[in-house]
Amino acid sequence: MDNVLEVKNLTKKFGDFTAVDSVSFSIGDGEILGVLGPNGAGKTTTIQMLLGVMSPTAGEVFYFGKSFLKHREEILKKANFCSTYISLPWQFTTMEILEIFARIYEVPDSKPRIKKLLKEFEIEHLEKKHFSDLSAGEKTRLLLTKAFLNYPKIILLDEPTASLDPEIAVKIRDFLKKEKKEYNVSMLFTSHNMAEVEEMCDRVIILNHGKIIVEDTPENLAGKIKNCELELLIIKDENKVDTFFKNKKIKHRKERNNFFIPIREQEIGSFLTALTNEKINYEQISINKAGLEDFFLQTIRKEKQNELE
Amino acid sequence: MNWNRVFAMVLRYFLYLKHNWDRLSDMFYWPAFDLFLWGLTGLYFAKLANSQNAIFVLLAGLVFWIVIWRAQYEINVNILAEIWDKNLVNIFASPLTVKEWITSLLIVGFIKMILSVAFSALIAFILYRFNIFLYGFALIPHLLSLLLTGWAAGFLVASMIIRYGAKIQTFAWTGVAIIGPFSGLYYPLSILPHWAQTTAFIVPSSYVFENLRQILSTGTFSMEKLLISFGLNVVYLIISLKVFMRMFKKSRELGLNRLVQ
Repeated sequence: MDNVLEVKNLTKKFGDFTAVDSVSFSIGDGEILGVLGPNGAGKTTTIQMLLGVMSPTAGEVFYFGKSFLKHREEILKKANFCSTYISLPWQFTTMEILEIFARIYEVPDSKPRIKKLLKEFEIEHLEKKHFSDLSAGEKTRLLLTKAFLNYPKIILLDEPTASLDPEIAVKIRDFLKKEKKEYNVSMLFTSHNMAEVEEMCDRVIILNHGKIIVEDTPENLAGKIKNCELELLIIKDENKVDTFFKNKKIKHRKERNNFFIPIREQEIGSFLTALTNEKINYEQISINKAGLEDFFLQTIRKEKQNELE
Repeated sequence: MNWNRVFAMVLRYFLYLKHNWDRLSDMFYWPAFDLFLWGLTGLYFAKLANSQNAIFVLLAGLVFWIVIWRAQYEINVNILAEIWDKNLVNIFASPLTVKEWITSLLIVGFIKMILSVAFSALIAFILYRFNIFLYGFALIPHLLSLLLTGWAAGFLVASMIIRYGAKIQTFAWTGVAIIGPFSGLYYPLSILPHWAQTTAFIVPSSYVFENLRQILSTGTFSMEKLLISFGLNVVYLIISLKVFMRMFKKSRELGLNRLVQ
């Protein structure tokens, strides 16, 4: 896979504070890379440097094998971005905004492209509406329309579904997947919704204090957590189960009649047999498998603990 | 230089004008208001002094000051528009270059200055029979010199705006006023105190307004003064553009995003 984006030792310092610390990663053709991290980890600073609205203190960025510093104009014709934290001229109508950006990006035959995207994002009825009159979700969809205007080969998406209702968020994700599949669009994707990152991303990096601390596929990262959580609803034999857990020294937490037991998957069978032997009956059972979110939380907690030590 | 992108930004600023009635009032209401108020005051003084020239000197000062003011103001308000609209990141994460942006600001400023001056000149003619074409062809180079003064002042103020953001936006309205007293809009430089006359030597618009008064009284102007004003303007414009580019670079180092948060 050819690299569409290659970042080498990217660093950003503000005085003594290092916001991004020698970060290196790449995005292949048609690949979606998730960038995760707690607030202040350096995600937004990294994206700003990749867009050229902040100059790095050190390091290099290459798009399509070309230096971003030397070929900014040429590169940005084929790239775009969407961030829910950025606005558009609030007095302008949807159509005015898109026509201006179509000219800036030199979109050939822009009218049909605009119409197609407005339809894709289900905002074609908002053509004459002013940006200030749009709902948060409509604004995000307009930002996405702007982001896809120039048939980008790479797109940087900073929490693109943050303000969308679940139904629209699903449609947006489907659209992004379709763009990737049909046009091989590469994407850098940030989100606090881990399920979304798991669904969308081919690879994930986790940033903390400006450094990449983890890089792998979402599946591999989730698989690094061996424990899952067994959830049992026990109504009749509550006292019995308390005694059982106490005697066997089984770690658990209790919320009303629900018992949550962290356990390895292969030990679930023997654990349930032991319960049956003690004549403890449960009304409901569910197994919560570890996901990317669990891995993320565990990793960040560990990092914090290490800092304290 | 990509003229498609320049045109896109010109279009953006004209649409901004269309959607902002307060910007329209800046273009037409205030110049008209000034001409009514100070024109009538001038009429009174002209009667007291028994000199028709006095009112023309005042009106010329009013109309030609608009050139400097509009040229400076348009650059700054359109930069502020990108900050107010939180659109700065959108345009600089696009292929648009700073030079293309500057060119679009100059084009928009020039067109709007022409509209403002034409409107003010029309009002001055209708109300007071003051015809700016009485300056003949000399009008064009003098207008151009004033335009350059406005642009130089505009980019100096713009440098501060792009570096410090909307918190110093008041300079967009007041910045160029500082050279007003030293330009001798309504009075000859000889009435200024010595220190102010010395300062006026380095103010390009002072030479232009001296010439404009001379044309009114003698029908001639000093080519030397015109050339000095152009020379100073070119130097100031180069300096202000360099300062602007430097401040833009500094602002980019800190992140343009911070200006729109």
